[in-house]
Amino acid sequence: MPIRTWIRTGTIMRISSFFYTLGQGIKNIFRNKGYSAASIATISASLFLFGLFFSVIDNISYMVHNAEQGVAVTVFFDEGTSEDEINQIKIALEERPEVKRVVYVSADDAWSEFSKEYLGDYADGFTENPLAGDDNLEIYLNDVSKQGELVSYLENLDNVREVNRSEITADTLTGVNRLIAYTSAFIIGILIIVSVFLISNTVATGITSHKDEINIMKYIGATDFFVRAPYVIEGMLIGLVGALIPLGLTYFFYNRVVGAIAERFSMLSNILKFLPAADVFRYLIPVMIVLGVGIGFLGSTLTIRKHLHV
Amino acid sequence: MALNRTEIQGPVESGEVVISLRDVSKRYSREAPAVSHANLDVHEGEFVFITGETGSGKSTLLKIIMHQLVPTDGMVNVLGYNLNRIRHTKIPKFRRNLGVVFQDFRLLKDRNVYENVAFAQRIIQVPSDQIRRNVTDALDMVGLADKYKRQVTQLSGGEQQRVAIARALVNKPYILLADEPTGNLDADTAWDIMQLIERINMEYGTTVIVVTHDRSIVDRMNKRVIEMKQGEIIRDDPARTEEEYDEFYEDGNAYQDVDSDGYDYEN
Repeated sequence: MPIRTWIRTGTIMRISSFFYTLGQGIKNIFRNKGYSAASIATISASLFLFGLFFSVIDNISYMVHNAEQGVAVTVFFDEGTSEDEINQIKIALEERPEVKRVVYVSADDAWSEFSKEYLGDYADGFTENPLAGDDNLEIYLNDVSKQGELVSYLENLDNVREVNRSEITADTLTGVNRLIAYTSAFIIGILIIVSVFLISNTVATGITSHKDEINIMKYIGATDFFVRAPYVIEGMLIGLVGALIPLGLTYFFYNRVVGAIAERFSMLSNILKFLPAADVFRYLIPVMIVLGVGIGFLGSTLTIRKHLHV
Repeated sequence: MALNRTEIQGPVESGEVVISLRDVSKRYSREAPAVSHANLDVHEGEFVFITGETGSGKSTLLKIIMHQLVPTDGMVNVLGYNLNRIRHTKIPKFRRNLGVVFQDFRLLKDRNVYENVAFAQRIIQVPSDQIRRNVTDALDMVGLADKYKRQVTQLSGGEQQRVAIARALVNKPYILLADEPTGNLDADTAWDIMQLIERINMEYGTTVIVVTHDRSIVDRMNKRVIEMKQGEIIRDDPARTEEEYDEFYEDGNAYQDVDSDGYDYEN
């Protein structure tokens, strides 16, 4: 039967409908003030902890990375190895991806540095260089975990007499890196699950209190998208606000805490090198906004799927 | 008036079949079916009462027509849509051809009269300027144009039902489905509402199906009557001719057993 139709059933949302849906999403937040506030507070708390972890982890990574830069593998060569041969090995090493830089230390440089650091004026008693023939290469790595691999490579090279390395330092730094990564992933995972659950509860409450309205919408011929959109927007807005508040707090505290630590532990300034706020927040702002909005989207979408059946 | 979508001035009983039920049954559990082997054809522009005792299956039948329920057996075709096989994404488009009125009005209590009616237009994404015109026309039709700013909670039951009718009407539906629309109203108000629904049927040619257990209204209105009992259609009487209607009244049948609330407790 040919059916006349007067009603526009286009699937593209009109601009006025978009603003109506957005308005409904905002109204939903205010209709359930209590639940919305609780959700925002919890997401804020979760994301504040996340921001804190992120800042701490980012700084520890930075410090670990700095420490890694100081860990070198030292290669000594057989007697009679010429400087040219050593330079060729240096060039080959510099091409390896795990190698950051290679420093050639001549026997004279090595003695000069050693005597200055440990002997002082007593060094004058030595007429000859006791380290003669100890020309070496100091190899600094991009990634300390690759140290073992590099050492194996070095030990198989011709003319190499000895390879010195600090296995404990390398292993410790690699372990710290891994521990930080796993701990942070675990904590962040839990926080995200808690936040999704809370947003889900808030949206579910909204849906329950608007069950009649939703039913009417479905009877009148609202598409699933149109029915769902305000609740998804509500969840995303809660997530967005829940991200912006802790971002502001984290920024506020970061500058103050870093300043206070730097002042109180000034003697450790060589070790405690903090990242500037701009470097931390360059990543933290988009990550937290995406997380907040994503949590809101996920929480509301899951709840809508569960509760919206007409 | 924008609602004047047709030139039909009265019920067109010989029009196209807009609702067709073939051997339709609905079973909720292992108990007796709520609807059993129902066969029904409703033509474009018809006004049909579905009546029967509580639990006779009349509301279930209405829910099947609006695709709120899917039948256990049988074929349902409404406005060319095969409701047995309709895709989920097509359901909104199908429902935009229906207007639904409930016993409990189901208005949005936190909004005013205008917003309640406009709501029906907004959710099908009608442009704002058209919404204003259509809502004004619909409120005019139900006699509430001067109360468009009122909160619905400040209105009487009859007025609230008028708002609900305006909301059902504003999208210019082919079929108006009313489930006990006078169930919460006193006799006089109930009669006013039924006259309004009849006027919609007469002026716009909208096909109307009213589910009611109020025999007084059914008797008084002289429309096609489908009576259900224990899930089965036991009677399908066409509207009486003028002579039959007069004879029926002379026999003292109509509008006798109704108390002051408009309820017919004997049925």
